[in-house]
Amino acid sequence: MAKNIVVSLDGEESSFAFKAVDRASLYGKRRRIALDKDGNPCIRGSLLDDGSLLLKSGMSGQGYFLDDGTFLKQSDLEGFDVNGNALNKAPSTLGQSEKLTGPVNPNDVLDLRVKTVYVLEEENLGEKLKSSLAQGNIYQFTFNYREDYHAETAFILSNENGIFALIGDPVDYSWLSLNITPVINDTEIDDSEELDFEML
Amino acid sequence: MRKIHIANAASRNASVTGVPITTHFEINMGKDGKSATFKRFVAAGENKIDADLFTQFKGEYSKQLIESDPEIDFNSVGRFIESTQSVFLSASGEPLFAAPSVVEVTLDPSGAEISRKAPVEIAPTMDDSIPLRWTGKKMPKGEVVRKFLFKRTMQLMHNDGVTFDFLHAMAKELHDENVMVLLAAGSTGKDPVILQVNGTPYRGFLEGRIEGDKFILLLHLSNMELKKPVVTAKSEGSDE
Repeated sequence: MAKNIVVSLDGEESSFAFKAVDRASLYGKRRRIALDKDGNPCIRGSLLDDGSLLLKSGMSGQGYFLDDGTFLKQSDLEGFDVNGNALNKAPSTLGQSEKLTGPVNPNDVLDLRVKTVYVLEEENLGEKLKSSLAQGNIYQFTFNYREDYHAETAFILSNENGIFALIGDPVDYSWLSLNITPVINDTEIDDSEELDFEML
Repeated sequence: MRKIHIANAASRNASVTGVPITTHFEINMGKDGKSATFKRFVAAGENKIDADLFTQFKGEYSKQLIESDPEIDFNSVGRFIESTQSVFLSASGEPLFAAPSVVEVTLDPSGAEISRKAPVEIAPTMDDSIPLRWTGKKMPKGEVVRKFLFKRTMQLMHNDGVTFDFLHAMAKELHDENVMVLLAAGSTGKDPVILQVNGTPYRGFLEGRIEGDKFILLLHLSNMELKKPVVTAKSEGSDE
């Protein structure tokens, strides 16, 4: 059985089945397809820069390597932050009750770089959350699909079409200010002084 | 960074700078304190992938694997792939000796093809001779974030004192009213925002924030509403 997104508001739990939504699933999509001389779709290949080998699908692999060329298995990999400090793995939040915080400011949602959107199908929707979402309130919680080194930020909100969860990472913006050009103080200008062109 | 030609509510226009906003969260992978690098490598030589060998040996395939290691190409396997050039091959995998023809195929939400036509070059609208302009459509922030999905955002930055005042005034108006305004492109004012040639068309919403003399003016880009798909499929989630 699939695990649900489970959240709690003031101790009242709600549980949702979920499904990713993207633009193609709502509106369809347009694709540009290259055709060969017989009108069949071309396949893509990658030519090594020195021209020595043409890579077709299935001919390449990828993975993490140490500087000495040692290949690291996925299970051996450890995560580090930018300062080299070891990171702890964050467990999956699916099936686990995550506390909702909020209501949050709409700016918090605008400050999220959204990676995934889920449409939520309620299996058990608490009355408090139901009425608060209906009023237009938005709540934040922690989301992690599977155990890894980074739990993401999620917002739950609703509109006339249903209940949705937006998943992503927050971003920071820079406040912009102006470096003011110094103003010439009038009192420092002596009207009686003649303009000195010799100094130019 | 991009040059953005934009007009304010009074139709005064200026060229400013747009900077894409990205997250700064970064995880490095490694082992025992040593950092590792993500690399692509050659995993199989030419005509050495499973399907090729199966065709070549047919019923003898498994026996050949054990006895002669035909899947291993010692000259190329394990070589790191630094950079490559994309090439098109014919459907049968042969190199093309003439440029392929290109068609634009439209698929409905279920993936069924609904039309096929010659592609048309779509020009960007961000730095067009006609600036992005305010429409009369202002919406409260709380309503916008529950209605549309924003996957890209650009911060608008001033180039000088004049454009600082220009952008600051726009940000202040939107901040004071706590709204976002829909922007329009093109001569009719109905065209979407397109960042580059043949780029994705977006609806652009401008949002402003003020803190003292400082400002933030953001162009949020959306190409979808928050709606349920017409075609419903099985729910996701990991198996217990």
